[in-house]
Amino acid sequence: MIRVEGLTKVFRRPRTFSGPFGALRTLVTRQHVEKTAVDDVSFEIHEGEVIGYLGPNGAGKSTTIKILTGILTPTSGTVEVNGLVPWRDRSVNARNVGVVFGQRSQLWWDLPLIESLRLVGALYDVPAPRFERSLKKLRDLLGLDEFLDTPVRQLSLGQRMRGDLAAAVLYEPPLLYLDEPTVGLDVVAKEAVREFIVETNGAGRTTVILTTHDLADVEALCKRIILIDHGKVLFDGAIDALVNEPRRLVVTLESEPEEVRGVPRDAEGRYVFEIHDDLPGMIASIAAEHTIRDLSVEEPDLESVIKGIYTR
Amino acid sequence: MTRIGFRLALAYRSNIIITCVTLVAQVFLLRMIWTSVYGSRPSAAGLTLDALLAYLTLANLQAFATHTIVAHTIHDRIRTGTVFFDLARPVGYLRQMAGFQIGNTGGGLLLLAPVIPVVLLVGSITVPVNGLGYLVTLALGYVIAVQLALLISLIGFWTMETGAISLFYRLVSQFFAGTMVPLTFFPGALGALAEILPFKYMGYVPAAIYVGHISDVSGPVLVEVGWIVGLGGLLVLTWSRARRRVVIQGG
Repeated sequence: MIRVEGLTKVFRRPRTFSGPFGALRTLVTRQHVEKTAVDDVSFEIHEGEVIGYLGPNGAGKSTTIKILTGILTPTSGTVEVNGLVPWRDRSVNARNVGVVFGQRSQLWWDLPLIESLRLVGALYDVPAPRFERSLKKLRDLLGLDEFLDTPVRQLSLGQRMRGDLAAAVLYEPPLLYLDEPTVGLDVVAKEAVREFIVETNGAGRTTVILTTHDLADVEALCKRIILIDHGKVLFDGAIDALVNEPRRLVVTLESEPEEVRGVPRDAEGRYVFEIHDDLPGMIASIAAEHTIRDLSVEEPDLESVIKGIYTR
Repeated sequence: MTRIGFRLALAYRSNIIITCVTLVAQVFLLRMIWTSVYGSRPSAAGLTLDALLAYLTLANLQAFATHTIVAHTIHDRIRTGTVFFDLARPVGYLRQMAGFQIGNTGGGLLLLAPVIPVVLLVGSITVPVNGLGYLVTLALGYVIAVQLALLISLIGFWTMETGAISLFYRLVSQFFAGTMVPLTFFPGALGALAEILPFKYMGYVPAAIYVGHISDVSGPVLVEVGWIVGLGGLLVLTWSRARRRVVIQGG
């Protein structure tokens, strides 16, 4: 479905100067600053997958998505989306792709939601019967009826996001890019968005690329994630493979010795053991030698694993 | 996009009402000033007072009717990054924006319609000398106005900020269109400049044809078509360069 190889995007901007006449110097300078937003990125995504495309702010996620939609031309590298080169066959590629940006909306702020949906229908040449059928389905799935005729500026964030999701899939694109679709939503609204993604992915075999900072989204929706930072791919694979670290037993003891069973006391006065098999046995053997003040078991989770990778 | 532009024009009804009031007031004030300037003279620079008043009324009506919101819209969408969605559509960007402007003008005209009789009355308008010539030159002038507005907006792909440029453009275009003072009264070099610039086709030329001050229609029409072809080429060229400059605000 998507094949990306050696993708690199370098942004070139005039150097900005500060101080007196700084603005003027900025305007006339021939010096440029280069910033590599995406650096030799390669991956493959298959039809029907839901991929978590993750990374900290400014990692290059949105730039990748803009290249995949054909809006930006990469500095180097090859990209194929459904057999097309996005920036060369931009118009055809556009019909295959739906996009939602949680932080900004494609809906017309001062007009009723239905007007924006009609616009999408017209721009993507959706014939009237198909438009009605698609709209009917989305009205049921996203509960649009209660605010279809309300100007978008009066919608709640959750309603607006449902409107944006509807606009992105109205023409039934086989590929959906979701950039932080749950940002700022309450628990119920988040759940609604997730259900919608599952539904869209399952029914129409729609491939989904999901960018988010809410790892609960990822755990609920994605089997595979691609992790990038500073424009480079740090990890590409199944979540299970990433989260396979051992459980950890954390104890504090009354006597606070220098070390217990080869594990030194850490700065907070705790002893952290990696547990590979017998947890009760481990606890029992420590309790036999020391008086335990407190104890907890930490399960490895995606959040701590990813935090570990980001800060590495 | 045309429909959106149309609906947006209707959505900002209160704006339009204020516009209508402004329009009537402006025509009224111009009438007072020019009546006093003329005093007892029957005509100046080949224009009688009646023809001049009719001219000014028309020129102002036209200025409001051909006002292009699209530059403002494009500026806003570049600044907030929503231009992303316009660029991601299968339909070309310029086509979308032109459609938007045409719809918006349509909506504006619909709302302007009820006040047109009032304006005509205040401005003491006469029967057109050449109604068809007027409509043709005005329609072509409108196309030029939209093309120029799009061209100015595209600067935003290089500089991000086009607010000041747009304002400057609006003042210059209104002045050289002859909205306040007919081009006939422009002295020497200024007159020559106004003669060369395309802005006169949005105001002066159609209005002067209406009142019979200009009798040759085919000449202006030919030049207008020339401008449209030239600006069209320039637009396509500028856009293909702007495309490569696309940087979308906010990551």
